[in-house]
Amino acid sequence: MERKIGVYLCECGPNISEKVDLDRVKKEISSIDDVAVVEKFKLLCSADGKKYLEEQIKNHNLTHLVIAACSPKEHEITFMEVCENADLNPYLFQLANIREQCAWITADKEEATKKAIRIVKAAVGRVKYHSSLEKKEIESIPDVLVIGGGIAGIEASLQLASSKRKVFLVEKTSELGGLIKNFEKTFGDMKSATELIDNKIQNINTNENIKVLTNCEVGEVIGFFGNFEIKIKTTTGENEPIEFNVGAIVVATGSQLFNPEKTPQFGYSKLDNVFTSLEFEKMNLTKNITLKNGKTPTSVAFIHCVGREEKGYCSGICCLYSLKYASYLKEKLPKVKIINLYSDLCIPGKKDEKFFNEVKSKNVDFIRSSDVEVEKNKNQLKINFKNKEGKKNSILVDMVVLAPAIEPTIDAVKIAEITGISQDKEGFFAEEHEKLNPISTSTEGIYIAGCAQGPKNISETIIQSEAAAGKILSSLIPGKKIKPEVKTSVISESLCIGCKTCLTVCSYGAITFDETKKISVVNEVICRGCGNCVAACPSGAASIKHFKFNQIYQELLEAVK
Amino acid sequence: MIENKAAAITIKSSMKNTIIELLEKAINKEIFDAVIIPMETPAKDSFVYVLVKDKNLLKDSNPLPPVMFVQGAKAVSSITRLGEGNLKIAAILRPCEIRAAIELAKVGQTNLDNITLISMDCPGVLPYPDFLSDPKKYKKLFEEAVEKWDNKLMRPVCQICNHSSMVSGDIHFATLGINKDKMYLIPNSSKGKNLIEKLELPLKENIESWQKKVKEISEKRHGKRKKTHKDLKTKIGGIDNFVDTFSNCINCHNCMRVCPVCFCRLCYFDSDKVKHNSEDYLDRAETKGSLRFLPDTSLFHIGRMSHMSLSCVSCGSCEDACPMAIPVAQVFSMIADETQELFNYVSGRDLKEPIPLVAYKEEELRDMEDAHD
Repeated sequence: MERKIGVYLCECGPNISEKVDLDRVKKEISSIDDVAVVEKFKLLCSADGKKYLEEQIKNHNLTHLVIAACSPKEHEITFMEVCENADLNPYLFQLANIREQCAWITADKEEATKKAIRIVKAAVGRVKYHSSLEKKEIESIPDVLVIGGGIAGIEASLQLASSKRKVFLVEKTSELGGLIKNFEKTFGDMKSATELIDNKIQNINTNENIKVLTNCEVGEVIGFFGNFEIKIKTTTGENEPIEFNVGAIVVATGSQLFNPEKTPQFGYSKLDNVFTSLEFEKMNLTKNITLKNGKTPTSVAFIHCVGREEKGYCSGICCLYSLKYASYLKEKLPKVKIINLYSDLCIPGKKDEKFFNEVKSKNVDFIRSSDVEVEKNKNQLKINFKNKEGKKNSILVDMVVLAPAIEPTIDAVKIAEITGISQDKEGFFAEEHEKLNPISTSTEGIYIAGCAQGPKNISETIIQSEAAAGKILSSLIPGKKIKPEVKTSVISESLCIGCKTCLTVCSYGAITFDETKKISVVNEVICRGCGNCVAACPSGAASIKHFKFNQIYQELLEAVK
Repeated sequence: MIENKAAAITIKSSMKNTIIELLEKAINKEIFDAVIIPMETPAKDSFVYVLVKDKNLLKDSNPLPPVMFVQGAKAVSSITRLGEGNLKIAAILRPCEIRAAIELAKVGQTNLDNITLISMDCPGVLPYPDFLSDPKKYKKLFEEAVEKWDNKLMRPVCQICNHSSMVSGDIHFATLGINKDKMYLIPNSSKGKNLIEKLELPLKENIESWQKKVKEISEKRHGKRKKTHKDLKTKIGGIDNFVDTFSNCINCHNCMRVCPVCFCRLCYFDSDKVKHNSEDYLDRAETKGSLRFLPDTSLFHIGRMSHMSLSCVSCGSCEDACPMAIPVAQVFSMIADETQELFNYVSGRDLKEPIPLVAYKEEELRDMEDAHD
């Protein structure tokens, strides 16, 4: 078939035209074989520009289209739509970036023009080897999997269920509630935490849209936004795995405390009456606050920031719950002496300052300190520290409560592996964008909520859960079709040697092994076209549609010639 | 791993007959269903691998033939590429053939589950162009060479082989450094041990003297190898010398076809991916001044080196197969030593050791991420 390539140069207002001599580019490109037409236009992404392109494609009967304009991140989809409207397969189009990669970064006009010519030539060289690719559509599943039955998972489930979505709520322990189950009150407002969580659990249990799977954990997740295949195992290993499909996943696996045994200076696990905050919280909820010998403490010290240096971040909630503990104590043991040893106090927000002042006024001491150490002193504990002037000091107390850093649960690694979402340096699940997309992950359709994403308080957790539910409700619409990736990998049946290397590098579980033919096979619906298998295949059997050897070779050839 | 104990058997007439008798016994006891072993052709001018069940035919086999026409790993791979099969097979191979079989198993090209790999101290093999010129004479020369353990007539890479007694299969038949009338059976896996147990041989001989002798030989060879490679490097180092070395290449790709570790079904260099349209060739001719045809000869060798050198066992098959007498195996053995050293890897040393470039570690990918931060 005769090729008729149309090349359109976008001036992008002054963005490109000021730095690149587009007339020279036009002249150079016009002489290339198969190029039927080269034109420049003021702003191709404008309504006028799109209309103009559509007409051009039709009038010239173009078989291929090259647009030299901005980054594909900006307008590739725009121009692919133009192709579709003009009945040209959108994969017979190539966008040459002469703005971000040329006009904006090359000071010299002559150099920029030469570079633009190369970039456009490379795109023309490439587009010649493009082939039409067809889009597919599949049904999406509106149901949702929520991993973790703490407050984050509970809230997300309730939000989704209230919009009539079926939710599978998976919890590895025998009951819902998570860490909050251990709390008597929430900090700040000092309202009942037990009541709060029990009400929510009650709502979950009576909601017929929510299927609660306790003593269960996620064994396998394969698929993509709109259609994840889920396998659930029971933690006891007794029953058969449960299998179902969902369209989206909320990961709300929560957090745990930093193990203070890693900071031996505080004496945890070696000295009696040194507790972690969670141990103190449990003791407060279930029985009286007492020392190991059964006596009531007359003085309690709270050591803040345990493990902060080791972890490298402030957990943000420890100061406030330490204030809450002071409140518990003052209510139950009014005469107790309370000392807080802190390095920085973190009391943000519109209400908590008031809470701090309230607690402080109850005769609770706050000492800014460093180099804190706990040792045994007869029946008491001696805390040595340096005060803010750097002078050595010490105090004697009956009980020490440590506020360790919040860290991801030990299961986070396993969950990351199973779901394919990534973890940040600290081990929390990584958000797609820290500020702009804090609950999305690198995998479309998998969202994170609560402390699994980073330390946070209850209200922040609920905000995230609601946001995750909102994201799902607005994007995973029942009846809406899903368009799987078109640029998928293909494994040649005749070239594959069956070494299974690709199976180990596929992050999406998209490759299976055909035992009779002894070759690897790509599931095109699951494949995201990342190219891992192509790079790893030792015998060149894997290739990726739209990034074929010849396409890249021709593009490179023109770029470096 | 090798234990320091071996079983000993007495060599009655010859080592060859002792091994054949032992294999016969193993078939009788149903330890093996069949044996794959080199056998002389009726015309007495070549040796082939045969899969035999018949004990009478086994008599004509030769566990240590003077030449290696087909690399044994290729034979083993042909039998088991599509799965382990039901037959329990003993494969009598040279150490480099076993190493190649192990490399192939790592990429799923052979299944060793039901294969017992048996190696021997290897005296090297004669280049087959020499052998074919006068089989009778060379058979005699080979026997004399084995007697004196002198390898100056062998393939050039055999002369510098420092792994000629490497034990990476299931069991090794050792003769070096011990009494002439004895052969040690050194087990290297549960399969090897099983064979000794079923043959009811006591595992009590100390193998120190064999180890000492092997160490002495391989150290000597290692020194020679380093020197040869160093000399070779001055001859072929740099692009001009490299192109000169391979300038006689006629692009027959024989070296690739006989290579035991070249596992691709279709070599990239035989595929349409390296065939370009005339415009491209004209372009290239224009840029370079001229273009040699057939094109991409050096690229083929460099490509094969980058693809195969981590698994290369320096068996020398490629060099024997080269009709243009290019020292392919010597060049490859040099490159292979260097690339394998980079990853502290020895091809075919251990089935559990993954080939460096197909083993991915999560943290390696993290390195890449950091580079883009």
